[in-house]
Amino acid sequence: MFEPIAAFKDVSYKYPRSEEFVLFDINLEIRKGEFLGLIGPTSAGKTTLCLALNGIVPQFYGGRFFGGISVSGMDTIEHPITALAGYVGQVFEDPETQLIATSVENEIAFALENLRVPREVILERIPQALSVVRLDGMEKKHPHELSGGQKQRLAIAAAIAVQPSLLILDEPTSQLDPVGAEEVFATAHELNRDLGMTVVMASHSAEEMATYADRIALLSHGRIIALGTPDEIYTEIEMLEGNDLRPPQVATTFYSIRQKGVSVPRVPVSMGDALPLLEELGRHPANPDFALGKPSQSSGKPLLSVKDLAHIYPDGTKALQGVSLDISEGEYILIIGQNGAGKSTLVKHFLNLLLPTEGTVKVGGVDVTEMSVSDLARRIGYVAQNPDNQIFNTSVEDEIAFALKNLDFDDREIEARTVESLEAMGLTHVRDMHPLALPKGDRARVVIGAILAMKPEVIIFDEPTTGQDYRGAQYILDISRDLHEMGKTVIVITHHLYLMPDYAERVVVMGKGNILLDEDIRKAFHETKILRSTFLSAPQAVHLSREMQKWDKDFPPLLAPNEFADYFSLKAMPHEYDEIPNR
Amino acid sequence: MSMMKFQTVERDSFFSRLDFRPKLFMVAVVTIVAFAWESPVLQLGLALLIMLACLLVGVKWSYIRTVLLIMIPFYALLLLTHAFFNRDHVMALKGFESVNQLSRMFTFPENWPLIGGGFATWEGLTYGFNVIFKTLTLTLVIPLAVFTTEVNNMIVAMVRAKIPYKIAFIFSSTLRFFPLLIEEFRMIIEAQRLRGLAMEKMGLVKRVRVYAKVAVPLILGALVKSQQLEVVLQSKAFSGSPDRTYLHESILRPPDYLLMIFFALFFVVAFYLLVVYGVGSFGGPI
Repeated sequence: MFEPIAAFKDVSYKYPRSEEFVLFDINLEIRKGEFLGLIGPTSAGKTTLCLALNGIVPQFYGGRFFGGISVSGMDTIEHPITALAGYVGQVFEDPETQLIATSVENEIAFALENLRVPREVILERIPQALSVVRLDGMEKKHPHELSGGQKQRLAIAAAIAVQPSLLILDEPTSQLDPVGAEEVFATAHELNRDLGMTVVMASHSAEEMATYADRIALLSHGRIIALGTPDEIYTEIEMLEGNDLRPPQVATTFYSIRQKGVSVPRVPVSMGDALPLLEELGRHPANPDFALGKPSQSSGKPLLSVKDLAHIYPDGTKALQGVSLDISEGEYILIIGQNGAGKSTLVKHFLNLLLPTEGTVKVGGVDVTEMSVSDLARRIGYVAQNPDNQIFNTSVEDEIAFALKNLDFDDREIEARTVESLEAMGLTHVRDMHPLALPKGDRARVVIGAILAMKPEVIIFDEPTTGQDYRGAQYILDISRDLHEMGKTVIVITHHLYLMPDYAERVVVMGKGNILLDEDIRKAFHETKILRSTFLSAPQAVHLSREMQKWDKDFPPLLAPNEFADYFSLKAMPHEYDEIPNR
Repeated sequence: MSMMKFQTVERDSFFSRLDFRPKLFMVAVVTIVAFAWESPVLQLGLALLIMLACLLVGVKWSYIRTVLLIMIPFYALLLLTHAFFNRDHVMALKGFESVNQLSRMFTFPENWPLIGGGFATWEGLTYGFNVIFKTLTLTLVIPLAVFTTEVNNMIVAMVRAKIPYKIAFIFSSTLRFFPLLIEEFRMIIEAQRLRGLAMEKMGLVKRVRVYAKVAVPLILGALVKSQQLEVVLQSKAFSGSPDRTYLHESILRPPDYLLMIFFALFFVVAFYLLVVYGVGSFGGPI
């Protein structure tokens, strides 16, 4: 029998002033020692469910709460949050706002101090907690000095120092680069596997959830609509897609192949599961009509030209060295690399926000240092990660017109361009609304519309998919594709490589301030060693393709699940597989 | 690129090893004495001593220079207003009965519009210097205490000095989150420049209007962050109650007592000399 450590019984909850229930009729037992994954689209109720486990919902927020939750035998309504905090450790999404102390040791000590743990015990627990998350010896460091992944590991250390029965992690990796995300998942996995700690994690990272979780609960509109092992949940591709969720790419790949009529014994959800199926799959005849699209050759005029660019920050950090790059009109370029690789530093030189320490950057043959930032803004639009930092006006219309007024266009031109931009972004019906009253995806569209109104030749999207769910990320990337089709040059910086095969043509891989690779996307994504050297991982479809090449050296370098499906489709005959046991 | 941080002194010195309470006492004494004195010479001496102390304990010259540069327009305004307009006050301090007893530096010709006949006095100017050095002392004595103390030691010492824990916590949170706010401010200004806002071509009034517009996203962002912070605090069993334990200790050692005795004596001697001999008064012996 599984012993429950926490249990939801008929729980429904509505925030004050909210019209709908955020949680509805939740019945869930969390088993002692398990790793429970929580998945669901934005606004499904994942965060609320996490906050209900330590009583913050409803004790802090108020609202209407029905049913009951017990954690370690304590009712979350009857016991104050301060008492529950001794049993439930929580790690939040934003690495910045959740670290409240000015040193690592004080961050860990803070909750213990509040719980009146004696000083001698606190002194023992600090090195213990740091050791578990591999931050030994960093006691005196300021949180600012840590990387994103280290910050989240510190938040985990602070949570486990209390020795909670239950550790909750709410989207702990959504704002991290792949290295940071890997660090956090590995730490949570070790805590669960080696120390037997019960872990509840909400995350959009399907590949990692499939690998580490024991069970997964799928939330949609406040209800748990599915609960099961990763194999059971992630093979329900239609259900996942119907809820705007992304299955692991390996599952999508085999599912897509099966959809083409190829008999596949089962749909694997992790690479480990998939590998035994590849040999059989390799015996399946390929579609003779299958051909890879040729990489598009840029025929546009050179637009951006970077030559021997170096940049050293005032604190001595060498952010770029010897970077040379030419970008032509109408290209769609993806710039990738770990945090600190120099991606943002490079594009800030295009905008004259940073001046070269050495080398030159030219736009249309003119050195950018001869142009002001506002002059450059007419030619190069920059969409930063957080749309809320880019909204300054009280109506959508004013926001769109903001740049046009700055650039001294006459009233007629301002009106014409504003209308055009509102229409292009589908915002005409909300033109009088306050931009911040719109949903996050729409706010991003307002910012993009405001930049489009300047009619720039180049548009740069800096981490547009960070913090977005699958649907939100796709939505923004679809806009980038539309702009590209309109003839704009598009530059995207992102860590989410699996999203990009449908969009990007050329990939610039950066590492430690250098360009490591500049190739078309197919070649670049298959240079897995180079990607790994800058702590990036190619999408699972690429890894599958490379595994297939071990059996068949002529197997094409595929990028995405739909290419696999096409490769094995049409003239393929149903194929009998031997029974392959599940893991 | 590292995010901006509050300046802290990394040099280990006699001063950095002291408890925060004697430093708070020092700040209080120096502040009271600086307010009481009105002699520009003594004020200059005190300001120079505090500046020297700052440099000796490791406060960077670049920081002091920045403070001075920021204060220059304010100081110039102080000198001008005191030289031209501070008459009744300096006359009362000097015991003068007539304006004619004041020493004139120069007088604007009578036929100049608006300012014709206006004159500056040496006494007013001297008093202006007194105010300048007074503010300089106050501006530098706080970093002398704050920069040389680790924030967490500061909080424990404040609680031991009977300052409510909630206030001490607000103080530490400000130190933690103010740099984030500055970073956000920088990003918003950058976003505005990228929408064609030519700050470099703007006059002062227009710039102020731009900064006012930054307030909208900045305040909204701060509100969101403060609610997130409240939730984080709740999850860490924070209640604002002083009934908690502390990782850091605040223990007064002999050097702490020595510093407090020194400043207590300084306070007594300064006031004795001021009251009995007028040392430190405007127009006094020094």
